Amino acid sequence: MNKKILIIGGVAAGTKAASKVKRDFPDSQVTIITKGEHISYAGCGLPYFLGKVIKEKKELVVRTPEEFKNEQGIDVLVKHEAVKVLPEEKKVIVKNLETGEEKEFEYDKLVLATGADPFIPPIKGVDLENIFTLRTVTDALKIRKLLDEGKVKKAVIVGAGLIGLETAENLTHRGVKVSVIELLDQILPPFDREIALLAQKHLNEKGVDIHTSEKVTSFVKNENSKEIIVKTDKGEIPADLVIMSVGVRPNIKLAKDMGLKIGKTGAIKVNEFMETSMPDIYAVGDCAESKNVINNEPAWIPLGSTANKAGRTTGLNLMGTNKNSFKGVLGTSIVKLFDLNLAKTGLSEKDAAKYGFDIETVIVPAFDKAHYFPGNKLIITKLIADKKDHRVLGAQIIGEGVVDKPIDIIATAIHFGAKVEDLTQLDLAYAPPFSMAVASTITAAHVMLNKLEGKVKTVKAHEILDKLNDENVQVIDIREEPEFIIRSIPGSINIPQTELLKRAASLGLDRNKETILVCKVGKRAYMTYCTLKYLGFDKVSILEGGITAYPFELE
Amino acid sequence: MKELYINARGMQCPGPIMQLHKTLKDAEPDTEVVIEVTDSGFKKDVQAWCKKTKNELVSLNEEDGVIIAKIKKKS
Ligand SMILES: Cc1cc2nc3c(=O)[nH]c(=O)nc-3n(C[C@H](O)[C@H](O)[C@H](O)COP(=O)(O)OP(=O)(O)OC[C@H]3O[C@@H](n4cnc5c(N)ncnc54)[C@H](O)[C@@H]3O)c2cc1C
Repeated sequence: MNKKILIIGGVAAGTKAASKVKRDFPDSQVTIITKGEHISYAGCGLPYFLGKVIKEKKELVVRTPEEFKNEQGIDVLVKHEAVKVLPEEKKVIVKNLETGEEKEFEYDKLVLATGADPFIPPIKGVDLENIFTLRTVTDALKIRKLLDEGKVKKAVIVGAGLIGLETAENLTHRGVKVSVIELLDQILPPFDREIALLAQKHLNEKGVDIHTSEKVTSFVKNENSKEIIVKTDKGEIPADLVIMSVGVRPNIKLAKDMGLKIGKTGAIKVNEFMETSMPDIYAVGDCAESKNVINNEPAWIPLGSTANKAGRTTGLNLMGTNKNSFKGVLGTSIVKLFDLNLAKTGLSEKDAAKYGFDIETVIVPAFDKAHYFPGNKLIITKLIADKKDHRVLGAQIIGEGVVDKPIDIIATAIHFGAKVEDLTQLDLAYAPPFSMAVASTITAAHVMLNKLEGKVKTVKAHEILDKLNDENVQVIDIREEPEFIIRSIPGSINIPQTELLKRAASLGLDRNKETILVCKVGKRAYMTYCTLKYLGFDKVSILEGGITAYPFELE
Repeated sequence: MKELYINARGMQCPGPIMQLHKTLKDAEPDTEVVIEVTDSGFKKDVQAWCKKTKNELVSLNEEDGVIIAKIKKKS
């Protein structure tokens, strides 16, 4: 056969596809063309390279072109750019970026793995010295050099997404004072607001200065101090280093020029076999569109996990013998921010609303291990389900404890179309060092069922805010006094549980007022709620997630 | 000076802070109390509680997931 496979882009998706096809079809001739200097590098490790968690470049770039050639028989041309594809002739024009020389490469099968590039908004002064993006090893080396030379005392990060905030943490660990400027009214846009606010609180506690709803208008260099003045619609912040991290855009130039179909997300349209709209041309990784597993809508969620999986699918399909399909994505993602872990899968509340689902949500704190086992930590699970058929649509988990396990459990469940009832039935591993006897995911599912079945009426944190000044509403914190002293919702009153139940039974509690019960995680409030209901109080509700998940100001 | 010890391991919130509160209430001024707790929220709680009640947090350590706090009752 000796088919010629040409792959454009040599990071995650491209090298994965190359390795897979060569392994399964050793007689194929595989060539990777890539623009940059490094191949197959660990892009996801770049923030940690800045923070020196990863000490040296060689830990990020584990394989060289020579190794690809010697170990796998794959040809790699770095610093080569594919400038044009001629699909009728099955040729690609490639430019050697060092010599400027152009050459034609023939192919039987072509793979576009051109990835994504950071978006750089057209802001005045954005091309000044010491303003960077963080995408490649070359970017990271430049930033790391400045840090190692001690030239960075304060930095501004524009954009509070996953990469921006990972970078904020790592720069903070290097002793840099970091400010993050975000245009939207919350950090971490894929997450729902109340979860993002909890993360923001944590970042503030760790000394990261966060500005939301703020727009950068220009960058100006102060010629005396050599600082960059970051001007915004609300003020200005001086910085020695600026990192632009406002998101990435798929590299679709080659695809567009040759007339490949582009999906509505703006990435290259492919089917489940990673085939584009033209024969023998595939697209994979950050440059390609995918599908949302939940509703089959087009989705573009550029992640390394997807690039690797879909890269393998591409490799398997290139010879046309084995049709392996890639089902799509849930947008499962995870991030560590100082002591806090956050993860999500499936639809957020915002997404679900956008797609027109009628949903129910709950927010449930629980422990990641047995509550009596040393080292246990709280995690908060937000679960989102379809009100009608109880299908689980999404989850977000935040806390200092283990979040990767429960998010992966829920991602798996959603992938297989689970309902909330199914979650409560899962046979999950339990021993005190690993989990609670009733795992956090199962507890969250129980609370969701209680809510779906109308057994409990709850209010969300943002709903309570409006009610605190309403004289027809009493917000009663039923925790013990020492707990109330530590932190409480401004405007709430403290009547400990036992006292409250006494008063309720002896008619010492106003049953005409709307009553919202607050406790630490929602459990004591739920128990009290049940008793009050039994006593005939019908204007009672509880604060979801209690003080623990309350993201607004406490006193 | 008297030193008291509370083993509040295994107790869930509000157990540990309640135990501390009760013990200090009955104790003489300047008494030191050492409390061991496995509830991870206690670390932040005890700091805030001492600040608000003006008792002194003499030390706060964590060893293998066990939080050990020493508190001196205000005089
Ligand atoms: C700082 C950072 C942290 C991240 N953290 C995570 C994480 O924790 N988890 C996660 O899942 N994902 C993470 N990601 C995302 C992940 O790195 C990407 O999803 C992944 O690299 C995508 O791989 P890819 O091969 O599709 O594209 P890319 O990595 O973008 O590679 C494409 C390559 O193609 C080259 N190219 C483009 N056009 C041409 C052309 N015309 N000719 C030749 N070459 C060309 C590009 O120069 C580039 O080298 C992170 C990304 C960054 C930058």
